[in-house]
Amino acid sequence: MTEPTAPDLMTLATPYALHAVSQAENDDIERQLTTAPDLVLRAFADEVRAVRETMAVVSSATAIEPPDGLRDRLLAAVNDNAPGRRLNPPQRRNWRSIVMSAAAALVVGLIVVGIGWAIRPEPKSTTAEQIFTASDVRTVSGPIPTGGTATVVYSRERNAAVLVMNNVAPPRAGTVYQMWLVNSERARSAGTMDAAAVAPSTTAVLPDLGDSTALAFTVEPGAGSSQPTSPIFAKLALT
Amino acid sequence: MTLFESAARLPLVTADLDALLRRVAQRDVEAFASFYDHTRARVFGLVTRVLRDPGYSEETTQEVYLQVWQNATNYNPSAGSPLAWLMTLAHRRAVDRVRSEQAASQRESRYGAANVETPADRVAEAVIHLDERRQVTQCLDSLTDAQRECIQLAYYEGLTYVQVSERLAANLATIKSRMRDAIRGLRNCLGVS
Repeated sequence: MTEPTAPDLMTLATPYALHAVSQAENDDIERQLTTAPDLVLRAFADEVRAVRETMAVVSSATAIEPPDGLRDRLLAAVNDNAPGRRLNPPQRRNWRSIVMSAAAALVVGLIVVGIGWAIRPEPKSTTAEQIFTASDVRTVSGPIPTGGTATVVYSRERNAAVLVMNNVAPPRAGTVYQMWLVNSERARSAGTMDAAAVAPSTTAVLPDLGDSTALAFTVEPGAGSSQPTSPIFAKLALT
Repeated sequence: MTLFESAARLPLVTADLDALLRRVAQRDVEAFASFYDHTRARVFGLVTRVLRDPGYSEETTQEVYLQVWQNATNYNPSAGSPLAWLMTLAHRRAVDRVRSEQAASQRESRYGAANVETPADRVAEAVIHLDERRQVTQCLDSLTDAQRECIQLAYYEGLTYVQVSERLAANLATIKSRMRDAIRGLRNCLGVS
């Protein structure tokens, strides 16, 4: 590939600022900027800045109010992480926000733990912390048909996930819930949860996501199976 | 907490956000709440415009603000305004998400070039001043259709400029200059320095 000249690089400033370049081209532009002449670098930075300031103003055209529950969850998440300062709980709560908060309360708790770890001086980082601080961290959440919620916080970069089961009814005696990392070809066991582990809530670290595209749940006899023996009763897509 | 309620009604002033962000960097929860109240409709609205899915948009908005909480110390006032920093971060996350979803589903664009504006009944009037919104709408209208289409596809649908050129069967140089002209037009119209 030939190196673009400075004028070529400059024509990429606007697409770059709008995130309208591929990851490969983005990296390429940033690499070129490290060796670009000062004048080019300054002109590029000025244009990026102007584009971003402009689009910040334009954001008023698309503004819409987020759901109430989001504020509650964010404040709950950061409250536990703030030194010496706690807010009173929000005074106006409707049922919708309570339900939505409940669904995410645990995962927020986990994120708080993650942040707590992140600012602690100990250098050793846990898998959970690595997930929460990964640049590609994602959250996917879904109801369990028999009640409760499963939430997965995961990072492809870290190749790991944290599963949170909240208010899920325990499995019948003599059975366990088994988690499976599945792709189009196979299902791989990601562990089991018995009645004691499920109630009222539990978390589990799932290392090695590999090329799995979903986390599926089945009911299995005894201490679990090597392959699913019952229909999947819940599934969370890991995109 | 009347503090937050009154803060939410203050006009959006960069100096305010700047001060709030500095306090957020020191783990000040009240400042974080106020920063959220000042900016939440812009962030959620932009993320929703890009992702078009309420669930994904809420998750992504949550991730954006947790990133603000963790990374407020990284904000550098000499590189731009706090709002531009925040909206850049929000747009980056939304685009990353939409690209991973598109890679998974090959989702087709469902919206046309004229669809830049938000329906009036969903506008967050409590936070966004109507005058500002009206001005932005007028400035978007002042662009040529071709320029607006570029902004729609690249900024709101997360396409790369190469994908935009393929979609519109126009060469790369044309698309890049349309994007640049669109931004210049908006910038001049809005009086952004």
